[in-house]
Amino acid sequence: MVNLTIDGKQVAVEKDATIYDAAKACGIKIPILCHDKKLHPFGGCRMCLVEVEQMKGRLIPACTTPVTEGMIVQTTTDEIVKARKLVLELLLLKHPIDCPVCDAAGDCDLQNLTYEYKVNMNRFVDEKFNHEIDYENPLIERDMNRCIHCGKCARICDEIVSYGAYTFINRGIEAKMGTEFDGPLNCEFCGSCVSVCPVGALNSRPFKFKARWWALQKTKSVCSYCGTGCQLTLGSKDGKVLTTIYDENQGFHNGQLCTRGRFGYQFVNSDKRLTAPLVRRNGKLQEATWEEALAEVTTRLAAGKSDPASIAALATPRLTNEELFLFGKLFRGTIGTDNIDHSAGYAHEALTKGAVASFGVAASPAEIADVQKSNLLLVVKSDAYETHPVIGFEINLGVKRKGIALRIVSDKKGKLTRLPGAKTTVHAPGNEVALFNALCKSVIDQGLAVEGVAGLDALKAAVADATAEKAGVSAEEIAAIAKEFASAEKALIILPIGQGYPGHNAVLANAAANLAILTGQVGKEGAGLLIMGEKNNSQGAVDMGIYPKGTGLNAAAIIDGCANGNVKTLFVAGENPVVSYPNRKKVEKALENVEFMVVSDLFLTETAAMADVVLPAVSFAEKSGTFTSLGRRVQNVRKAIPAIGLAKSDFEILNTLSQALGGARYNNQGEVFTEIAASVPAYKGLTQAGLKDEGAVYPVALSAKLVPAAAKAAAPAAGKLALVTGSALYHCGTMSRFGEGPMYVCPDAYAELNVADAAALKVEEGDQVTVTSGTGAVQVVAKVGKRVPQGVVFSPYHFGEGSVNTITDGAEVTYVSVAKK
Amino acid sequence: MIMPLIKGLQITISHMFKKPVTLQYPTERPDVKPGFRGLHALNVSHDKAKCVACYLCPTVCPAKCITVEAGEDANHDKYAAKYEIDMLRCIFCGYCVEACPVDAIRMTEQFELANYSRADFTYTKDRLLEKK
Repeated sequence: MVNLTIDGKQVAVEKDATIYDAAKACGIKIPILCHDKKLHPFGGCRMCLVEVEQMKGRLIPACTTPVTEGMIVQTTTDEIVKARKLVLELLLLKHPIDCPVCDAAGDCDLQNLTYEYKVNMNRFVDEKFNHEIDYENPLIERDMNRCIHCGKCARICDEIVSYGAYTFINRGIEAKMGTEFDGPLNCEFCGSCVSVCPVGALNSRPFKFKARWWALQKTKSVCSYCGTGCQLTLGSKDGKVLTTIYDENQGFHNGQLCTRGRFGYQFVNSDKRLTAPLVRRNGKLQEATWEEALAEVTTRLAAGKSDPASIAALATPRLTNEELFLFGKLFRGTIGTDNIDHSAGYAHEALTKGAVASFGVAASPAEIADVQKSNLLLVVKSDAYETHPVIGFEINLGVKRKGIALRIVSDKKGKLTRLPGAKTTVHAPGNEVALFNALCKSVIDQGLAVEGVAGLDALKAAVADATAEKAGVSAEEIAAIAKEFASAEKALIILPIGQGYPGHNAVLANAAANLAILTGQVGKEGAGLLIMGEKNNSQGAVDMGIYPKGTGLNAAAIIDGCANGNVKTLFVAGENPVVSYPNRKKVEKALENVEFMVVSDLFLTETAAMADVVLPAVSFAEKSGTFTSLGRRVQNVRKAIPAIGLAKSDFEILNTLSQALGGARYNNQGEVFTEIAASVPAYKGLTQAGLKDEGAVYPVALSAKLVPAAAKAAAPAAGKLALVTGSALYHCGTMSRFGEGPMYVCPDAYAELNVADAAALKVEEGDQVTVTSGTGAVQVVAKVGKRVPQGVVFSPYHFGEGSVNTITDGAEVTYVSVAKK
Repeated sequence: MIMPLIKGLQITISHMFKKPVTLQYPTERPDVKPGFRGLHALNVSHDKAKCVACYLCPTVCPAKCITVEAGEDANHDKYAAKYEIDMLRCIFCGYCVEACPVDAIRMTEQFELANYSRADFTYTKDRLLEKK
């Protein structure tokens, strides 16, 4: 620790702190424009000038100067104020005073400082900039006339997002923040640049002119897209969510969001939202009152109580813990059926079967904080960046700032591949388990295995014939990864799961866990296995037990049951099986066949359109509760706006049904959480109030065991391409389709082909292609690149039209032929 | 006893010869002084309302009677797509005029604001635009 005096206050800080950090630590505010706590010090704006006794004669920038022992710092003297005023005057020389029409007004650092330092005149005269304003981009509006050259946008894009969309171009007075060849912005559209811009040079276009910053009601909540559990602040006005507000002190990610978190909120106030219950009369869905709709549902469920096996229920892991708990209690307890499931059944297997077998808990043993504490990250599929972009930022930061080694085993390349020092092992699609078995074998052969782990002999026998060739990679690569992984002080495996990844099942989780356990990389900080659930509350759905525990049917069996008539009543809370479950035709037939189907959803989805009763549910912005993110963090979700139309939260719907069917009744969702804390062991001692803003990570007691994982031999079909599905960066599940932001950037289903394959098929970027498999055929837009290896096609699963589940049937890899339309 | 009565009548009678202080409204019109705060008007320049929808007037309004909604015109400029004042709530304090950074709103000398229905007291942008 270093001791210094700032404005007469004694303060002790770490030796790598700057004067700015030290001042902040003792509550003294030094004005800044170009500094951000997430970024490397820049020292560009000169607003933070201070006086240091030991360096008299000139003013010292506080944000770049490290502290030294015995430093005596003055932060506000007449000379400093004069210097800061001069800085502001010079900035205002070029900065247009168009505050009345600038959306940043009220949240503008320059405006606030100008006010604070009473800069009401300018000694200098000059012309303003006359740069062309980029109005074309649907998400980020760039008005470089307002830019004050702090460079934060370029630095955040480079340091954290690792995209590098911006850089300073030209020199001297002509210098400006430019893009590639000064052309239009073509990036990931995460909006990080918008969030850190201290002025209104970068603005969120969807929020343009919608409201002034001070008129927004700010509600801290949790994003409802992926399982990362990013905290966000919703800015709402007049019952509408208008924007997400950047708060650098929120969450592990310091307010950093991805494109869907920042620009995907419009689904909340979408015109397509259901506002009244619908009941099918004479074959048509017609508006009805809540009483009518719920009476019909109650009658059906009450009648089914005598034959509980004929009732089945599917829930989306987007619901809150309270709703899911009530869902489980209603169907498992009151009605008495075990036919409940979520996420197509296979997308949670890695947790409910894999982690249970390997670690004895249905949760990921590692947490998000472990990513940055690790020495080596082994990422399964480069898609981890696409499925959980903010975890991707954590990986970027870890690799670039802390020198964490990054190894990727994937069936295609991706953004993570391009990080400094990253080594990617591209294997043949569907060979993940074989690859992990080969890694385990290599660890054993190299004598790096930890002795005395439970199940070692069984594993040794099981991987005896595992070879690198079976995984489709070279033996040297396998040996190198095995050695690095085993000899790293702390090594962490990152495994994304989800409906787009049927291969990321219990077996792969076991195989990955085996490697971690075998090398002793479990039970310590920064090591182990991080299983990343796909949806915002995937972990919560598992914790609340929304999967068959006894003899009940899982999601796939429920669909089969609907088809063969064993399941007569199906309750669907927010799931969209028609688009997101494998084999669309089969699912559609099954849902047509089921006698009675209730769907509660925000939108009239493809599934809801087939229902007998549709109940309008509310989004995360209209309800309170808790979500459990990957890495077991339970966080508070807070209501920001009143419900749209007549929509009710799933809690209200389930509560009413539960009461009508003779089950429990709760006065509010908080009571359910109290019951969760009492009955779910992991949540013991938690209260909603106690979670506060930061949430709480519940602990797990691991009992690690090696579980042999049998690799399925991939059977490539001659002359066909291997289709792998997954997530697109801009989408999550099927809900992001209703947000304008994601749809501006990625509106259509596509199939990504390798350039060589595309050339052979005479397909060019943007062409319509027909992808045909044994299950069906679908028309999508072709995307051509070098990301996917030759012989592989990638297609995301989110879209209703050209949905990839038309041609898949739940297999890890689907062999398809592609032809130009 | 009689004296106070006479005194009183004296005052009454003296007033009969003075100029009356009341105004024979509506036949006679008052002389409105400068600075009077009557009905609002939106100033026009180059055939366009000067208002840039900065929302400072609804922010400063103590009666919360101003509703503004901004829009984006063909030149990507901000303008008030909706500008409404609820005259039933307005307290004619003039803060809106004081807050306006672009001199887009002023208060006229018009004080006759009586109307027949509540809806008629909502002054929309069209009604507020200054008349040539």
